[in-house]
Amino acid sequence: MKVLLLLATALTVLTPFASFAQESDTRAEIRELREKLERLERKLAADESVREKKAAEERAAITETVKKDVISEVSAKGQSYFSKLIDQTKIGAYGSMRYGTSNLDDLHNTFTFRRFVMTVDAPIYERLKAYTELEFERFTSLELDKKLTRTSGGGLTSSVAIEGTHNSEISMEQAWMQYDIADWLKFRGGAVLVPLGRFNINHDDNRWDLPRRSLVDRGAPVLPATAAWPELGVGFLGDIPIGNTGKLSYQAYVMNGVALNSEIEQIGQTRAGDTAKLAYEVEIKPNRGTFADDVKKGKSIGSRWAYSPWLGDEIAASFYWGRYTPDFLPNKPVFSVAIDGKKTWGPFEIEGQYVNTQWSGVRGVARGLAQRAIASESEAEIGDVETEVEFELANLASRKQGYWVDFRYRFWPDILSKTILGSHFAIPQLIATFRAEQVWFSGLLKSAAFTDGMLTDFRTESRLLNRFTVGLTYRPVPLVALQLAYEYTRTNQGKSLSSVTNFLPARSGEYFQNAILTGLTFGF
Amino acid sequence: MRALEKWLCLVCLIASLETPLLATAQEGSFLKEEEAPKAVFPEGTSFDRKVIRSTEELKEKIRQRMGKNKTSLWEDSYVTFVAKKGDLVLGYAVIVEEIGKHRPITFVVGIGTDRKIKDAALMIYREAYGGEIRDHRFLQQYKGKELKDPLLPYRDIQNISGATLSVEAIGRGSKKALALVEVVYFEGGERK
Repeated sequence: MKVLLLLATALTVLTPFASFAQESDTRAEIRELREKLERLERKLAADESVREKKAAEERAAITETVKKDVISEVSAKGQSYFSKLIDQTKIGAYGSMRYGTSNLDDLHNTFTFRRFVMTVDAPIYERLKAYTELEFERFTSLELDKKLTRTSGGGLTSSVAIEGTHNSEISMEQAWMQYDIADWLKFRGGAVLVPLGRFNINHDDNRWDLPRRSLVDRGAPVLPATAAWPELGVGFLGDIPIGNTGKLSYQAYVMNGVALNSEIEQIGQTRAGDTAKLAYEVEIKPNRGTFADDVKKGKSIGSRWAYSPWLGDEIAASFYWGRYTPDFLPNKPVFSVAIDGKKTWGPFEIEGQYVNTQWSGVRGVARGLAQRAIASESEAEIGDVETEVEFELANLASRKQGYWVDFRYRFWPDILSKTILGSHFAIPQLIATFRAEQVWFSGLLKSAAFTDGMLTDFRTESRLLNRFTVGLTYRPVPLVALQLAYEYTRTNQGKSLSSVTNFLPARSGEYFQNAILTGLTFGF
Repeated sequence: MRALEKWLCLVCLIASLETPLLATAQEGSFLKEEEAPKAVFPEGTSFDRKVIRSTEELKEKIRQRMGKNKTSLWEDSYVTFVAKKGDLVLGYAVIVEEIGKHRPITFVVGIGTDRKIKDAALMIYREAYGGEIRDHRFLQQYKGKELKDPLLPYRDIQNISGATLSVEAIGRGSKKALALVEVVYFEGGERK
């Protein structure tokens, strides 16, 4: 009983103390929770502020972007198609000059500005582009003057005056438009380079390391027309990948094609102890096809197929076929076939080309010309002036064939890197080149004479032309080259080099030439 | 000539069809920005885009690492991507631009964590000639190349005849990408 009383008393006394402690804990808890809440509120407020700031920045960025887009859209709309095209159109050029010495009596030591070619390329629209090359060969100036005036004392006078420079030419080398349908199928139309061999389609002077073009392509042309040789036509080209590293490339065109065409040379001559002479020499020879109305019905075809097993190596075959006679002469075709290639072993390269061209029925063509032109020579003398008109068939052979092969070695001695030759350039190069060339002419037309519509004289000959060249080229940058070369050219002993080349004014019996050439070629 | 006309008609017919074969046409523009990192890191599952601002300090650092290869370093900023497979960083893709002969060439260079080029792909080519630099057989030469390599035609890169300036441009741009990744990601510590 006593125990129960004690417990009851203890409970009664201790209970207020316990409830006071509980209340104190709850208050602390509430305070803590309140503080927590305040911290959370502050954090939320801070986060909100960051979010707002970020959102404001994003809004500003979006506004700025939209503004820029709108401005560019507006300015794009404001920019005319023409001004856009002008912006995208790029003008480039390449050119070359050289200084040459020769043992030939009539060939002076001379500087020659070989050519300056302006290039323009323009992306017309997506997948559509255009490209042109306009050549000025040894060109200085050309002035024309044409007048129609009263003749004093009555009558009218019409006069034409031409002032030009020696051996000059302006020529459209390329002018085409291309539609890239696919990598393997691109349409090209216009003045296109004939894909026969590898030189004609890669003829830019600054790509080559010797200062003179090859005989086969230029100097004693085996190609139906001299390089650079464009024709007006249309066709397709493309690249087809073969395996991981291989590629097949093709070009195929239908073109107006090479045709016999006339070149008229006017000669005014005074002669000691004889009458003055006024002569018109009409030379009929193969020329690139016309860009105007064709002189013949048939069109020509040409195609090149190249296989490159890997980068740096290529082998190709190509052909050209077409009628070369104008409609007033018998229908005769010219057929050319070429094989070319390139092989690279590190700094060594071999590159070459063989071309074989057959001109069908040269004698028949001469006979046809005789019937049409009636006489190859007509002359008359009136008073102190002799007038002569002469027709000549030239540059034809029943077969022409030849090759060139270049052996190149690219190097750069470190010792030159700190000199003026190397210190300013990233990859200067020296290139040693040896080129071997041979051309054979079978049935080369030597002379054809005709009177009263009959062929009275038709003589041909077989000739051989050899040339080797050694050269050293310095390239500070890829598009610029300074060249030094020695070349030895030789034809059949006792014959003149002038009758088989189109650039050597050799006298009769001058059958070989030693020449030293220095060249400068550039592109931009 | 009739046979020729038939052939021409056949070709035109093929050309008029929008077949997959024609979809690979050489348009000049081959890859969009968002497709670029995948082109050089095909195994990548995510690509974090990071734009690196080009400061004078960065330019100087890149210039020092470029050696004799001179480049304009004209960019205000470089678009880069960190390529990852899951959480694993595979490497860095950098979009660069360099002038070929007349016009800029835009391409992407993928650089592995071993500081070597993993792959390169052309994005936009604007020149009239030299489109061969887009060929796989040309670009694969850059695989495994690193900052100390010259990346120059006739030295360690097989040249494309007639497109030497474009070949040089790809070399300069690749070297610029290598230098940028070196400075920003390997030395700068922005690896993720």
